[in-house]
This record gives sequence, structure tokens and C-alpha cells, in this order.
Amino acid sequence: MKVKCPICKKETEWEENEFRPFCSERCKLIDLGKWASEEYRIAGKKDEEDKKKEEE
Amino acid sequence: MKTGDTAIERKGKKEKETVSEERQQNSDAYGVEEITILEGLEAVRKRPAMYIGSTGAAGLHHLVFEVVDNSIDEALAGFCTKVEVIIHVDNSVTVIDNGRGIPTEMHPEKKMSAAEVVMTILHAGGKFNNKAYKVSGGLHGVGVSVVNALSELLELEIKRNGGVFQQEYKRGKPVAPLEETGKTKKCGTKITFKPDKDIFEATEYSFDVLAQRLRELAFLNKGLEITLEDERTEKKQEFCYKGGIVSFVEHLNRNKEPIHKPVSISDERKGIMLEIALQYNESYAENIFSFANNINTVDGGTHLSGFKTGLTRVVNSYAIKNGFIKSDKESLTGDDVREGLTAVISIKLSNPQFEGQTKAKLGNSEVKGIVETAVNEKLSGFFEEHPPIARKIAEKSITAARAREAARKAKELTRRKNALDISSLPGKLADCAERDPALSEIYIVEGDSAGGSAKQGRDRRNQAILPLKGKILNVEKARFDKMLSSDEIKTLITALGTGIGKEDFDAGKSRYHKIVIMTDADVDGAHIRTLLLTFFYRQMAALIERGYIYIAQPPLFRVKKGKAERYIKDEKGLQEYLIDLTADGIEAKSKEAKTYISGDKLNNILKRLISFELLLTRFSHRKIDSDIIRALALEEEFDKSILKNKARLQKTVNDVKNLFAEEHPDISLKIDIEEDEEHKAYKAVCEIKRDGSKAEAVIDEELVTSPEFKEVRSQSPVLTGLGAPPYKVRKKDGSEKVLNTTTALIDYILQAAKEGLSIQRYKGLGEMNPVQLWETTMDPEKRSFLQVKIEDIVAADEIFTVLMGDQVEPRREFIQQHALEVTNLDI
Repeated sequence: MKVKCPICKKETEWEENEFRPFCSERCKLIDLGKWASEEYRIAGKKDEEDKKKEEE
Repeated sequence: MKTGDTAIERKGKKEKETVSEERQQNSDAYGVEEITILEGLEAVRKRPAMYIGSTGAAGLHHLVFEVVDNSIDEALAGFCTKVEVIIHVDNSVTVIDNGRGIPTEMHPEKKMSAAEVVMTILHAGGKFNNKAYKVSGGLHGVGVSVVNALSELLELEIKRNGGVFQQEYKRGKPVAPLEETGKTKKCGTKITFKPDKDIFEATEYSFDVLAQRLRELAFLNKGLEITLEDERTEKKQEFCYKGGIVSFVEHLNRNKEPIHKPVSISDERKGIMLEIALQYNESYAENIFSFANNINTVDGGTHLSGFKTGLTRVVNSYAIKNGFIKSDKESLTGDDVREGLTAVISIKLSNPQFEGQTKAKLGNSEVKGIVETAVNEKLSGFFEEHPPIARKIAEKSITAARAREAARKAKELTRRKNALDISSLPGKLADCAERDPALSEIYIVEGDSAGGSAKQGRDRRNQAILPLKGKILNVEKARFDKMLSSDEIKTLITALGTGIGKEDFDAGKSRYHKIVIMTDADVDGAHIRTLLLTFFYRQMAALIERGYIYIAQPPLFRVKKGKAERYIKDEKGLQEYLIDLTADGIEAKSKEAKTYISGDKLNNILKRLISFELLLTRFSHRKIDSDIIRALALEEEFDKSILKNKARLQKTVNDVKNLFAEEHPDISLKIDIEEDEEHKAYKAVCEIKRDGSKAEAVIDEELVTSPEFKEVRSQSPVLTGLGAPPYKVRKKDGSEKVLNTTTALIDYILQAAKEGLSIQRYKGLGEMNPVQLWETTMDPEKRSFLQVKIEDIVAADEIFTVLMGDQVEPRREFIQQHALEVTNLDI
């Protein structure tokens, strides 16, 4: 199976790849760093109901 | 070979003269009297390793390089253009050059020919008085006499001053004096030697080892032609590079992906000649070769450190000056600017000092500052003149800096020794009593109130609860981004016990073999779930491969009919349940049809009608209004052949208009038929006006043949047997009603079913009491989990990547365009 490395987007083998789904230790580490520095966010909706909910 | 007449006396010379001009002007200043005598040869055969490093393969090849280096010196001095190296069948080697030939005159002190002095006396040679050669290679300056001493046979032939001279040596000792044997118009030196098998452990020459160094020498001496011929195998290779070290850099990058054309700078100051070629490639590796007087300084030295300092400064100041980085906040380190760098640094200087055990490090302290200044001036000049290359290099370095920063933060996550120790989680994790991971489950629950219900409702023997809170970030006034805080991530890793990262992660250490994500069935819940799944996929893929990751399916509805209670997991399930309830008591047909449809058949048709409506709400193809798609899908006959026939298309368009008007009397729809030249057909251009806004959509072959449209069409009531609206329904009591649209039909039937029912919609897990949560979602007897499979996530991750990108705008656009996929990815 081939997947796209989430960081550098390179086509990457899944099988026998210690760093799957990444192409390299480096890309995997960068990803972990992004989790650690809270860079991954999913955009919330621009909507009133949502806002109200969070304020509760 | 080391010859004659080029003492370069720089003192008193005008600065601007080049070295080669000086050489030529002074070409008679180095003669026989310049050969100085330092030491005898006796010691060499006793302790060969002291002179050539070893008596193994390295020392054996060293002999060839020692001889070749003398020819290179002639080339450096400007008198030699061609060097030939031949490996003979008996592993003897011949080196031929077209330099001036070793001096043949009698040496005044030694009473023998100068050539014999060079061949028999250690450290005899022009390079030691620094006059004959401004710069000189010669590996460690031991000279060709060492080669002679360690060869069982050596034959010397010199062409010089119109004559041919020959002499033969055995184990360093001349068989007879140098003899003139003929006449010639050519000049040059030819040496053939056979390494002494009493000295060397092995006497087999390697073509590749010789080829590698000879190629290197050809790169370092632009334009010099070096050939290597192997008579044992008839293999022959020629090395000649007009581009010099630029070609060298291209050669080093031959299997890489360079990101720009090679950069080359050269300079000469304070008697040091400097050449640098560099080119970045897509990799992260640094690959720098440094040379001083053609010697590969494997351990670097002052020229290399001068280059590094200069490069770091130049890239930093370029990045600051052009706004890539803010000087006070970020700065690029040397490692950052050298990531993916391939470079060759070659300097030539008159008295190199080599340091270190292997003498492979340049020690001249003055060189560092000189190289640094030269790089500063010349490379920043180059950057000014070539902004596209400069920008690429700066961007590459900045990416490297960001990666370094990310790595640092990743390490922080696990830095403290006990940070990920389970005992550091008091209060957060409600662990289970079971210690066997195979029997243990952990529920990752969103939010504290749901966590509370789960803690009370669980079976504490083998079910652990970890409440996680998605952090909410107020990004803009009315937009809230969801994320997992680094503390939550740390907590998660700790609770699972797997560790994280290359060194520590071990799926085998997972404390639970069922890791269940249990989030609210709303958008927030979906986002938290998406984040968790992405984290598992990327950093703990082995857990998914082992089948440890599950998604709980809490119900969205509770339906009560009298005393009977029922939980239903989603909207579609509820509608199907309601249809099952009512289908018995109701009949329906298209208004024009003769007979009513009822029972299982109607039941089935209505369920497909619900799918039809669901597909329509998700229809995202080129943003065409779903009501136009609905109208098209309700056509009795509709495929791409209609687009070929203008009259039929016109008729269809009229139907669409009528149906549309039926559903939306308040919206104006105008449709024009135009030619579609690309498909030799027609297309219908629709213009929809509502609330003063105008939208346009095109019905053409691309739309009609799209998989999305085909899917909608396949669920259309005209194909499932119900027929087109309007519809007529009849209840058991005989009352009849006409319904004009598909949605009205569904609403009517669902409404009828809801009579006598109480339906509760759960907005979150927190709304369920502990008992309900246990019964619906956690009880092994009743629950249904989705097991997460790698294949499900691979495609989804590419969407996550965009969802979680740094840039908000493209991400928002993407979400709008891929509404359908995003729905699917929420599993």
C-alpha cells in the first residue's frame, strides 16, 4: 500500500516502513512537534449556535 | 613530473597579476639547484606505514596518487594538460604526463642527475622550498622517492630539452645512471612501477578506488584530462571537466533532486585562491567536500569553518533583509542553512598546514577569516543578482528551522523522565481493576459531564474512563477552532502506556486492547474524534493495525412508544424506524397511477426515497442547486442522449421548470439552451434568482455522467417504481391526501408515524444518565463498536491534512468543496 506522507506529501510505502505513514523519522517528528505545539486545529463554524454553546 | 623552472617569488609583484602569469614570467627560476635534499631512503622500506599510512590496500593505492600528484603539480603550474594512468596485467602501474619532464641535469651537491635525486632521496622536490611551486599537492609530501623505495621495479622515462632519458631502479636503487637514449620534440615524464610484494599485503589494484580519486582530481583541476586504463579488463575511463568543481557538485547531486542551478564563486586574496560551488537539493543531508591543494581534507579545518560561518551569515542577512524572518525572533542556525546542501570548497595556498591524526584537517589559522570574508562578499553579491535562487535557499533554510523547532517541541512532550508515568495522572483517569491488557478497555470520552456519566455507568472491573476535553480557541470574533491541547495529548499517551516517538513507542505496551473513542454525535464531537483518529493514525499507527482502536456509537434518539423504549443511532435510522412503524397502515401511489403500493414494497420504496433526499442534500457537484438535480432525477427518461437532441432537451427543461416551480413557487428559474461544442451537444444554462441574489448552474454532459448524479438518479422514485410527483396517499381509515412533492410525501408519512410516540434527541453524551449510557453504548451485550481500519483512514488523512492546514482560507474553501467527503470521514 502506498500513502502520501502527511508532512512532505511524498508517496510512501506503508509496509515495512518504521515511520509509516510518514516517509521519514524527520517528517514523523515534525508532525509530533505540531501536536505538541497545538498547531493542529479544525476550523469551527462561524455560527451563532456554536458560539453560544462554547460560552455555556 | 616535478620539474624545472617556475619559482614564484611573489614579493615585489604587483597584486593584480594572476598566479599563472607569474608562473610563466618566472618559468626559468626553478632549476636543478632548487632541489633540496633532506633525508635518505633507508628508513622507508623498514617502516613503510610511517610514510604511506599502511601496507594494505590504502597504502598500495597511495603509491599511484603520490606519482599522479607530481603530475598535478605540473598542471597547477600550467605546464601539463594530460595525465594517463595505466594498470598493467601484473598490477604494475604507469603514469604518463605531458609536463616539462623532471630535470635531467647533474645536481651540484649530489653528483648525480637531478632526476635520480628526486627518485632516491626522501623529501627531495621542488615543493619544499616553496619557490618552484606556488602551491603543491603531494599527499603528505613524502615524494615519489617513497614509491621508488617500495617498488620492486621502477622505470623512468623523461622527455626534456629535445632528448629522451631513461633509468631503471630496483627496490629504490638505480641499476645504472640516467642515460640519454634518443631524441624527441615532446616533453613529459613516464613512470612505471611495480609495488614490492615483500612490502604489501596485497598488490591487486582496484579500478574503482583509483577512478574515484582521479575523477576528484579532474574536478579540482578544471580542464585537466585524466585517463585511467585497466589492461586487465580493457576498461577505460576518461575524466575531464570543463566546469571544474561546479561539475563536481552536479556529480554529487546526480541522484538527488536539486532545487536550483549550482552557485559558483571564486576569489583570490592574500595569496589564497578560493573556489566554491554549491547547490541545494530536496534531501535533508549535508554533503560538503573541502580540499586544500587538491587534498581532500576529510576532517575539514579552517577553510571549511570559514565557509560555514560565512554561509550562515549571508543566508541570515538575506532572509532578514527580505522579510523572510524577523531578526529579533527567529534566526537560522548553521545546521538550518546547510540542510540539503551539497558544496565543494577548494582552496590553494602556498604553505598548507595539515593537522590531526590523519593529517586531513587544514590548520592555517589565517584561512578562516579570509574564506569567511570572501563568502560574505561574493555570495551576498550573487544573492543580490539572483533573487530566485536566493529565495529558494532562504525558504529551504526556514523550513529546516521550523522542523528543528518542531522536533524540539516533540522532545519537550516527553522530556521529564516521569512525565509519561501512569502515576502522574491522579484524578484524570478512572482506571479499571483488570490488569490484563487483552481484557481491558479504555473509553476516551469527550467532556467532563459525559466523563462523569461514563465513570458511574461503566463496569469498573475492566472498563477505564479517560475524559478528554477538546480545547477551543477563539480565533476570530465568531469562529472557534477545535484542537487537542498538548496536555491532553500527554495525558492520552500516559494513560495508554505506549510511550511516543521513535525510541519509546511500543504498541505492545498498550495497557488496553480496546481503545474506544466516545464522543458526542454532533459537530464538536466529530471534530474531536477526527483529531484523535488523526493522532492515532500518524503517531500510533500500530495500534490501528492491531485493531485496538474503536469508535463507540452512542444513540442520537430515544423513542418511546407507550412503555417500550428504543435507542436509534442516527437520523436515517430514525426515519427507517418510523417508516417501518407506519408502512402497515398506509398506501401511496403517483397521482396518475392506477393502483396503490403498500406493505413491504412501499416500505422499501420509501427507504430509498429517503436515501434520495439525503443524497440530494449532499450533492456538491459544481454547486448546482439540489432542487434542479431533483427535477432532473425525477425525469422519466434522462441520460446524456437527451443532450444531443435540442427538442427533447427543451421538453425536459420545461418539465424541470414546472417541477421546480411546484417545489419553490417563490424562486424564479430561467433556463436557456446553448450549444456545447466540446461534446457536440447542447447544454442548459440555469439562472436562479432568490431573495435578490442570483446563481448560475449548467446542465451538461459532465454533470449528467458524473458518478454523483448517477447515484442520485439510481435512487429516484421514477426508477424505484413509485413514479413522479404529485402523489396520492390513503390511510387505513380510507382518508386520502394529495402531496405535490417528494419531500411533502416523506414529511407526511413521518408525521403520521410520530403520532403517539415520544422522541428524544440527545445533544450530547452528558444528556444520558449513567444507566442509559451503559445500556446503549458500553454494555458488551448490546453495544456496537466500529473498529477503525487503516484503509478507512488513509484517504481521510489527506483531507485532515487540509482541514488542519495552517492557512484558514484554502481550508474553508476545501471544506465547502468537499462537503461530501468530510461527511464520510466522520465515519
